[in-house]
Amino acid sequence: MADFSEQSYRQPFPFLDIDPTMESLTQFAELNPQSFILDNSAFNFQTFFPLSINDSLFSNQASQGETMSGFIHNSNQSSVSAQPIFSAKTEVEEISNKRKALDILESSSGNSSSSSPQVSETGIKRRNNSGRGKRAKSNEKEMEKPKEVVHVRARRGQATDSHSLAERVRRGKINERLRCLQDIVPGCYKTMGMALMLDEIINYVQSLQNQVEFLSMKLTAASTYYDFNSESDAMERMQRGKAEEAKELERLMREGYVGIGGVACFHSSSTYGPL
Amino acid sequence: MMNTPQQVKNPSTSLKSRFITRFLGALTKINAEDPISSPSPTRIFQRYRRIKVASNKSMAYSVRSRRIWSRAMLSRFRSRRSAFSGRRSSVKTTNCTTINVTINENKTAKGGLDMQTDELRELVPGGEAMDVCNLLDETAHYIKCLTTQVQVMRKIVDFCHLSK
Repeated sequence: MADFSEQSYRQPFPFLDIDPTMESLTQFAELNPQSFILDNSAFNFQTFFPLSINDSLFSNQASQGETMSGFIHNSNQSSVSAQPIFSAKTEVEEISNKRKALDILESSSGNSSSSSPQVSETGIKRRNNSGRGKRAKSNEKEMEKPKEVVHVRARRGQATDSHSLAERVRRGKINERLRCLQDIVPGCYKTMGMALMLDEIINYVQSLQNQVEFLSMKLTAASTYYDFNSESDAMERMQRGKAEEAKELERLMREGYVGIGGVACFHSSSTYGPL
Repeated sequence: MMNTPQQVKNPSTSLKSRFITRFLGALTKINAEDPISSPSPTRIFQRYRRIKVASNKSMAYSVRSRRIWSRAMLSRFRSRRSAFSGRRSSVKTTNCTTINVTINENKTAKGGLDMQTDELRELVPGGEAMDVCNLLDETAHYIKCLTTQVQVMRKIVDFCHLSK
């Protein structure tokens, strides 16, 4: 296996001829679909593999050269993201498709800020290459299924639909809200998927509602012999409770029933009738 | 430029203070209506129900109509009240059914997480008529209000115990 990889690694270097490179790539992909992750020793070696090919592919296009350095930095970090390139490249026929592969690399190593201005540029290019991406759609779905944890999104063949664009925006909103909820709800970890987080959230809301019920029961017992209207209690509260809330309670006690008469919600005693 | 007192927002009236105001008012009222020394279980249970409703109602009124869940809760209270007096408000149910149709279409698109979102819809008041995005938003605010409620009630219970 090592020999084969060495051989195919040597191949793309000297020339700009694309098709044999692609053939070797497809063979390589078929032989080692999963060894990228498992084989740690040769891992860095293999991650450089797609980069070198891209280098040769895009040597014609000088504008893309700047992004190459970004990739070389990023590939070492986001090593898992190297895998989708190969399954994507089984589809390659023209240079425009390789440009889309560049998009995949960019989106997969999208952690760097340097690639973000490029992404918007390529977004426009993607929309222009409308018709070619149709066969790539199935590839994109294949790539997305195992990748949900790693958040790699291959946008080939998806950009043109207004539906998919809107759906992507919608998903982004939902993820943002979920992140906010994560901060609020204790016990939510970022590593958990959406299903687990929703479970946690549901449990938390249920427990809070139960707490309200339990506390109202406790209050029933505690408040039966308690006079909320007396002022002395307010003074006691000031000594014990927090300053702000105690001040408010005291204020309320001083206002007494006068304030209550003005409160709109309790104007009818029938609200507390038989339920 | 004359600013009427209602337009000027008082920065010290936070949600918590509004809730405390209303809830304590409700408690005093309940204490006033009920003969305090009546230990029969039915009375106690009634009292408990009243306090619970007062707590939820105070919170819903403190939020006013700014949130979907508070609006749903308030309309629920109002419809319950009007049902007692014999009137039926069927407008809300028709609205729910029309919106539910669109919700079902969205569910198939999302896939796999319908069970949890359904459960969440049941928990959050007014959740049936919301899409997932708004549902999560409302859930966050609802959790915040529930924690405030629990905090305040706990403090009141503590004060009651301490001052005995």
